Amino acid sequence: MNVLEIRNLSKKFGDFIAVDNMNLSVREGEIFGFLGANGAGKSTTINMISSLLRITKGEIRLLGKDIVKESKFTKMNIGIVPQDLAIYEEMTAYENVSFFAGLYGLRGALLKERTEEALEFVGLGDKHKALPKSFSGGMKRRLNIACAIAHHPKLIIMDEPTVGIDPQSRNYILNSVRKLNQMGCSVIYTSHYMEEVEEICTRIAIVDHGKIIAEGTKEQLKSIITDTKETWISVKNADRLDLDALKQISGVNSVRLEEQTVKIVSRGEINNLNWVIQVLIRDQVEISSVEEQAPNLETVFLTLTGRNLRD
Amino acid sequence: MEFWIIGNKAALLFYVIFVSYSVVRGASPWVILAFLSYLCANMAIPVLRKQKRLQLLASVASAVLVALFAFRINTIFILLLPVNLYEIVLMSGGRNRFALLLGLVPLFLIPDDEAPIYLLAASLSLLLYYGMRVHTEKLDKIGEEKESLRLELQRLKQSLSTNEEYIRQSGYTIKLEERNRLSQRIHDEVGHSMAGALIQMEASRRLLHANPDKSSQLLGNAIAISKEGLEQIRLTLKDMKPRSEELGIHRLRLFADELSANHSVNVSVTHAGDLDVITPLQWKIVHENAKESVTNSLKYGGASNIEFEIRVLNRMIQSVVADNGRGADKVVKGLGIVGMEERAASAGGTVIVDGTKGFRVTTLLPFQKGV
Repeated sequence: MNVLEIRNLSKKFGDFIAVDNMNLSVREGEIFGFLGANGAGKSTTINMISSLLRITKGEIRLLGKDIVKESKFTKMNIGIVPQDLAIYEEMTAYENVSFFAGLYGLRGALLKERTEEALEFVGLGDKHKALPKSFSGGMKRRLNIACAIAHHPKLIIMDEPTVGIDPQSRNYILNSVRKLNQMGCSVIYTSHYMEEVEEICTRIAIVDHGKIIAEGTKEQLKSIITDTKETWISVKNADRLDLDALKQISGVNSVRLEEQTVKIVSRGEINNLNWVIQVLIRDQVEISSVEEQAPNLETVFLTLTGRNLRD
Repeated sequence: MEFWIIGNKAALLFYVIFVSYSVVRGASPWVILAFLSYLCANMAIPVLRKQKRLQLLASVASAVLVALFAFRINTIFILLLPVNLYEIVLMSGGRNRFALLLGLVPLFLIPDDEAPIYLLAASLSLLLYYGMRVHTEKLDKIGEEKESLRLELQRLKQSLSTNEEYIRQSGYTIKLEERNRLSQRIHDEVGHSMAGALIQMEASRRLLHANPDKSSQLLGNAIAISKEGLEQIRLTLKDMKPRSEELGIHRLRLFADELSANHSVNVSVTHAGDLDVITPLQWKIVHENAKESVTNSLKYGGASNIEFEIRVLNRMIQSVVADNGRGADKVVKGLGIVGMEERAASAGGTVIVDGTKGFRVTTLLPFQKGV
């Protein structure tokens, strides 16, 4: 079952096409990564999903229902953590969460219970009465997340939730995304930080100029570029090397020696480093460093779009 | 729209009838005649739907009648005027502002105590008229859009079938070329050596008894020639792989050379990866998109340097045309870009146009490995 389905979605601002005939689906239980440079159309798409922007063309379906026609249903089932903090500095943490949960229609005892649960979830359970003014950047972010999850939405959209915060809070947030996902939430996650996306997302779409250029698991995306990896091993006594023995190791495509570095090209999905090192140790080769040259999402992005993510 | 106007008129008419009966007990024949003639004129309007000019005439006639009745019989008739006036504006395609002004004109001709009720009727009718007009225009626009989409679809279908035809054609052409090449080589090389060997063997047979030494020498020659011929057959067969990739990249190089010769630009072509996997159809898309991008670069970009780059990745073919011209911060999609997108889409690919550092058009085409 697809939680979210986007069909032929376009958004125009005058002559400028911000989102160009986008097709996309997010399946249940996924953490879906949205990767793109500034101005690629990520936030525009998210704003259309959350009905903040009007759709120029195409349709978006949440759990099979059209988000424009069933706007109440949509709001009940989506939680949004916007890029810019959306909390009230003059209200306590508790009041903030219960205010937003109230907007989603929660009342009475349930409202109280869910508010406490959400605050507990983001680790602000003991800061009930504190004002966000006194919070650090990371705590504000967490409060922002609590506001979006109190009503138990099916789909949570997080737009750059880790911008400008300390590493600890960042880890906390990434872990809570995972936890939310385990509890049955689907998540759409956008970030500039390639490592984050690579770490937590189960499926990723690369967006550029309003179009989806590639989509798939990170392994699938990498395999667009190449399905091999190179291992560079610098050694001290290259004369002891037995290149033929290295070539015999399963998964190895080719082996070459450049000065004091052995460069081994092998199939990407195979992990044969143990065997390689065993052979080297057997021949009493002294290893000074090992480097794996596998493509990461950054290289995939750069290769396909010709630009850096932070351009 | 028509029904709403009729409804509007009917409501006003009922009101006028009600007022004129409640004020003057018992109707004079003139009043009844007025009502009936108003009805006639306005019934004619929807009936004459097909003849626009007559329809307009009927509406004008009705307006004149109403004005006449208002002056001669009862000023209340003036309430019926605005709808007719709006209708006339609508039929002649005039502006909304004009309708508003026209509706206000009778205000100066009627007695003051009738003015408020007239104003009410006129503005209510105007509201209805305006709302309807907006809606109708929207409907028309949607209809037009639908029509243009339908045409677009037809055009795309056509171009798809042209592409299919192109694949079939190019397959056939390649086959034909290959057959020609083979027969040429068999004739030129293998044929000649076979004939040579045959002559030597024939001579050897004649000399077999008369001069055995000479005969054996000739036989030796024949064997040598046959060996050579066999080697040539092997070479010919080995060479049989079609060279569509050579054609493709060569054509691109040729195009680049022509460009630098005819315009004052530097053009370079680079490629990486195994060009073998690119099918003739994909080459066609790459060529056409390159041509389109170059046209754009020369026309708008003011570029002095253009780079073609073809890279065959593991799952995708990437063709980039980049120039060092002006570029554009926000790329507005013209027909050229749409055309490129369509071509790419016909092979399941996409086109990205980036204008931040000169124009850079990237065509991405997926391919199946090992097919």
